[in-house]
Amino acid sequence: MGNGTNQGQLRRKLFAWNDRLLDYYGLALFLVLWQAAPSLGLVDRAFVPPPSTILSAALGLARGGDLLQHVGASLARVLVGFIVAVVTAVPLGFVLAGGAPPVARFLRPLFMLFSQVNAFSLFPIFILFFGIGESAKLAVIFWSSLWPVLFMTLAGVRGVDRALLKTARSMNAPRATVFLKVTLPASAPAVFTGIRMGGSIAFLMLIAAEMVGASQGLGWLIHNSQVNNIIPRVFAAALIIALLGVCLNFLLRCLEAHVVSWKPESLGGIHELPAL
Amino acid sequence: MSCPRYRPFRYHLCQRAGVLSLGLFLVAWELIPHLSEQTAYFVAPPSTVLRTFWELARTGELLQHVSISFARAIGGLVLAAFVGVPLGVLLGGWFPLFERAVNPVLRLLGEINPFSLFPLFMIFFGIGETSKCAMIFWVSLWPILFNTMTGVRGVDPAYVKTARSMGAGLGTLLLRVVLPGASPLILNGLKIGAGTSFFMLIAAEMIGASAGLGWLVWNAQITYQIPKLFAATVAISVLGLLLNGFFTLIERRALSWRDAG
Repeated sequence: MGNGTNQGQLRRKLFAWNDRLLDYYGLALFLVLWQAAPSLGLVDRAFVPPPSTILSAALGLARGGDLLQHVGASLARVLVGFIVAVVTAVPLGFVLAGGAPPVARFLRPLFMLFSQVNAFSLFPIFILFFGIGESAKLAVIFWSSLWPVLFMTLAGVRGVDRALLKTARSMNAPRATVFLKVTLPASAPAVFTGIRMGGSIAFLMLIAAEMVGASQGLGWLIHNSQVNNIIPRVFAAALIIALLGVCLNFLLRCLEAHVVSWKPESLGGIHELPAL
Repeated sequence: MSCPRYRPFRYHLCQRAGVLSLGLFLVAWELIPHLSEQTAYFVAPPSTVLRTFWELARTGELLQHVSISFARAIGGLVLAAFVGVPLGVLLGGWFPLFERAVNPVLRLLGEINPFSLFPLFMIFFGIGETSKCAMIFWVSLWPILFNTMTGVRGVDPAYVKTARSMGAGLGTLLLRVVLPGASPLILNGLKIGAGTSFFMLIAAEMIGASAGLGWLVWNAQITYQIPKLFAATVAISVLGLLLNGFFTLIERRALSWRDAG
């Protein structure tokens, strides 16, 4: 009898653990296969180095202090460009959509056209204007992350429930109160979606900009490793970039959850750009 | 006889305001090169850009580059759709446990910056067409796959059960319930995938190609043909806008039942 319940408990515990670990099975299997494939001769070791080689390449970079320098340079660039874009786009969106809707409608086609301008094809033009230094890269990051933030802010402000606005006004709330208590909280989810989209695009463009012309940074690291044919380092840099991207996304999500804590549940993938 | 409806002047102004803003922008752009010697050197006015554009179109050069770019983009995108949609349906609808196990791997792969994969794709596929198509396939696969998975998972189980209890076979279930139910998200994924693929295509062509719109931009830059550079940039933007509009139209056509219901 006692034995039976013990067994039941054990089984339940095992099931719970299994359920918790299920998310990691695929990842583990993937890593094991990746490690085994070059050793078994399924793929060429020179082209697809096993994770252990990649890890040691990454550790080698980290030990020399190079890695920190590149990560620092990349993060500084992406943060400056992205933050300037957010600081420009969010107030601009609020002013345009909240204060002067006709102006917003007036400028809409222009914004649409600008947002479609491929940041890549702008790169040569930015280089013409700003030279090949830091400012051209910052300009590319700024430009490409500006539009999603601006569009989502505009959409968010436009989507604020009319009834809420009217109620607040009918209770004689001053404009500042309406803005702070109604417009701002109601549009925050959309604004944050825009900020997250902008963040992932900023990171994408950062690597591209660094690959085209830079003397340090993660994009440069990839480019340099490729040119020098150090394949494990290409993989290591690509993985570090992916991890940094995930971290950035995670931080923005945390910030969002913190600020928009009243929102019941996120809508899921519908309005989101995929993580790039 | 119906008399024309009276509308205040402001209404007409608002209706045409958007076009007006584009017009004003063009005027400002036209004036910028006249500001100083330096800006005249860097910025080609729209009139010159238009002339260059016409020149490119007349000689057939533009059509050639556009068709090459489009062929690449469509090739990669169609392949991604053929892989992504069935895979998404399978993972989202039929193997939920397996999906949970592989999801982190897929997310990680989708999270990898495509630019950092450029060198790897070149190593694997060479610098020819294959690596560009593979690149486009890769970037457009993830939005299609993830959206399809979310869409299939979001199909109301009651519909599936109802169809099953009425004896619907697998094919009927798939064609009549699951795919229509997931179609808004599948189309959304295709739209995002198309946008991303066009974006990456230009990047891929700028890095290594001998034809295509991205190559046109790159070539104009290194040979310092500023009007051509601006003309190619404008062409890419307009094409991107058209592509987006095309998919929005399809979405509205294909999903017209959604609003009616």
